[in-house]
Amino acid sequence: MRRLAFLLAGLALIAAGCGKSSDADSPGRIVIGVDVPVTGSPYVAQTIKQGVELAVGNLNGSGGIRVSSRNYKLVVKLYDNHLSARRAVENTRRALDAGAVAVVTDGTGIEATWQLANRDGVAICIAYDGGTGLVDATGRPNVFRIAPTNRGIAFRFAEYLIPKKLKIALLGDDSAYGRQGAADVARAFSENPEAVALKLTLPAGETDLSPQILRVRRSGATALLVWAQPPAIAAVLSAARSIGWDVPVYAPPTGADPFIRQQLADHPGWVDGLTFASGRMTAEVGTAPFLNFQSQYDSTYGVDRVGVKTAAGEPVTQPPEFAMYSYDFVHVLVAAVSRAASVERDKVLAALNEVTTQGANGDERGFNEHSHEGVVDDDVYFARFEDMVFRPVADDALSATLPPIPQTAGG
Amino acid sequence: MSLRRSLGLAGAAAVLAAPAPAGAAVQQVLLPGPTPYPTQSPPLVAGGAPAPASLSFAIRGRALERVVAAVGPNGKLVSLRVLHRLVLRGKGDYLIVIGGPVEDVRAGAGSDSQPGLRTNQILWSGFSAGKKVLAADAQLRPREAGPFLPLRLHPVRGSNSYSLTITNATTVSQIAYAGEGFPRQLAGLLDQTRRESLAGGRLSTAYASVDGLVRVRKDAARTSAPLRIQGSLRFPAAPKSARGGTVRGKTVSFSTVLGDNSPLSLRVGVRGGGGAPRLHVVARPTNLVRALVPPDAPSWAVAVRRRAIPAEVLLRRLVDTRMQLVRSDQYQAFLSNPDPQGTNRTVYVYESAAAPRHRAAPAREPGSSDGGLVLALAIAGSVLGAGGLLVLWAHS
Repeated sequence: MRRLAFLLAGLALIAAGCGKSSDADSPGRIVIGVDVPVTGSPYVAQTIKQGVELAVGNLNGSGGIRVSSRNYKLVVKLYDNHLSARRAVENTRRALDAGAVAVVTDGTGIEATWQLANRDGVAICIAYDGGTGLVDATGRPNVFRIAPTNRGIAFRFAEYLIPKKLKIALLGDDSAYGRQGAADVARAFSENPEAVALKLTLPAGETDLSPQILRVRRSGATALLVWAQPPAIAAVLSAARSIGWDVPVYAPPTGADPFIRQQLADHPGWVDGLTFASGRMTAEVGTAPFLNFQSQYDSTYGVDRVGVKTAAGEPVTQPPEFAMYSYDFVHVLVAAVSRAASVERDKVLAALNEVTTQGANGDERGFNEHSHEGVVDDDVYFARFEDMVFRPVADDALSATLPPIPQTAGG
Repeated sequence: MSLRRSLGLAGAAAVLAAPAPAGAAVQQVLLPGPTPYPTQSPPLVAGGAPAPASLSFAIRGRALERVVAAVGPNGKLVSLRVLHRLVLRGKGDYLIVIGGPVEDVRAGAGSDSQPGLRTNQILWSGFSAGKKVLAADAQLRPREAGPFLPLRLHPVRGSNSYSLTITNATTVSQIAYAGEGFPRQLAGLLDQTRRESLAGGRLSTAYASVDGLVRVRKDAARTSAPLRIQGSLRFPAAPKSARGGTVRGKTVSFSTVLGDNSPLSLRVGVRGGGGAPRLHVVARPTNLVRALVPPDAPSWAVAVRRRAIPAEVLLRRLVDTRMQLVRSDQYQAFLSNPDPQGTNRTVYVYESAAAPRHRAAPAREPGSSDGGLVLALAIAGSVLGAGGLLVLWAHS
């Protein structure tokens, strides 16, 4: 009986030893949560999710990440926030329970989720919403953003439009996005009131904005800056063009949303001249890095079709701009893991302030103790639509240096 | 070590190490300047992760710095602040990393952008559309940055006197070479160096011909950056007299150049004054004037025509003065300029540190917790006292 006891004890020890050895050899997991509005804003959700997955696929495909003599594989957990802050909170809790070291989001519910994540030392990266106040390196040390900021876009608009001596109508819809943007635009133009003809809030759900546009026209406006969700921008264009008012229309990054072109597909000329601001897709190094990224993206997920055609009948595609931002964040996160030499959340979070990587477009991406913005204001450029595709404008110093990105099969 | 410094040292070493070929005795020797600098700092460098830094060749940078050193009554450094204003000209992207023992940084007045902060790094990133002003107001860690300041202050306070000794702290020993040069060529090089010095620019690269072997000088060259200083001591009461400065009311002011054939320290002695003064000293790395004045002639070329000046003396003067100008140029950038060819100007300001504020004892507010405690103790004492009296009364 005693012998049997010794034998069992010995076997148990051996088994324990084997278990440990096997555990050390098996790759660890670094979980990245992706909380996006899959059912609320499918295009935004898909582009963010696919950017993360593309980066993860590349990194895992090249052997994963080596941290302190152990290999790690990246794992993506997808959650649908349905554009609901409450759902975003639930999703963040689930991501934390799943061991996520970071959560990539469009920005929904950040006001509520950042504290939850911060308590556990988990980084949140916003890859779409440029809202002012969402990111604060001091007050919200775990919130980062790789996307153009509303503040930066608003000031670039002021810098671009004021010298044109236009009388600008500042329009915003009554969505949170529209209200926040309108506030930033008002601040940016506050020192040049002579450039502003009128400020007006538009009803977000309204498809016919004819009365509002008539009022804007009567105010003497010679240009419209519309900070709104895509449907409101489409409605503004419809209302203005249908009465023959060829006023120049300017918009934030939502101006490039395929929805607008889809809505106006029957009147492609109405889209012509729409100018939007966004983060530049190509850097000074040229188009090669971005086109390489786009090629990988397209070959993995297929091209993002806008659903409209050019006058020559070529189908128009959408470059993966926001996918680039979430893709870049994964690389910055991995650089932070490497620098921290640890997968512990607190250490990774601290290291995010200390690393820079080269982004998909050749630009440097990184954060620091004073700034958690991965897209600097200087990188905001302007592009104008013509024949359903856009190209950088020539009358802005930065934009004039940028080559157009191919948006049709023929380029 | 920067690439520029490495290349410069390598070049100098190559010249010194190269044996003179037997038949062709005359060789070209690279004179000091514009680089390498004799020490690694300034400009300040710091450890930590190197960040990818890029500045397009199409962008030029001009750096203007104001280094403000707050010193205590004993002359020791208390805090150090640098206002670093970088003016970029040209179109293109930039990612600039400025190293140093940075404690904190914020945008300075007139900045077109916000600086980033990492461990021992100030970061700038963006696009220059033609001109961009990047102004940083940085707080440095005095213990690490202090040793690279150009002045040492040594105040001594007596019962009815005060003295301040200001010393040029930029002196370094450097290996210098000697050889048989050609007086006319050396005189021409001295004139060229003088012109460049008076113009206030950086030295251009120059070579001297040496006949035969180049030797290392037996005595190491003691090289100092010439510093123009201006300062004032403001006393509580009008001083009776001052040496090394001028009394004007309650203020003693002084001005001199430390270096450039002048003493490397200045002592200002004051009688009276009624206590410790508030000091304000401004130091600027400057050019050489005295050390390059030709002897009794409008130029060195004329001087050697008028009378024989040994080539060895001329070469020594040429090497020494150029090393001083290199040292002066080195102190023109306390924090680095990302454009290696860019111009730098730095002013060093030494000021009396603000006296530490004595924290006044917080006034007790009525009803504060301590007041409540006192009240509670008083009530408890009264109750106990009353109880005791009651017991005494009962037993009486």
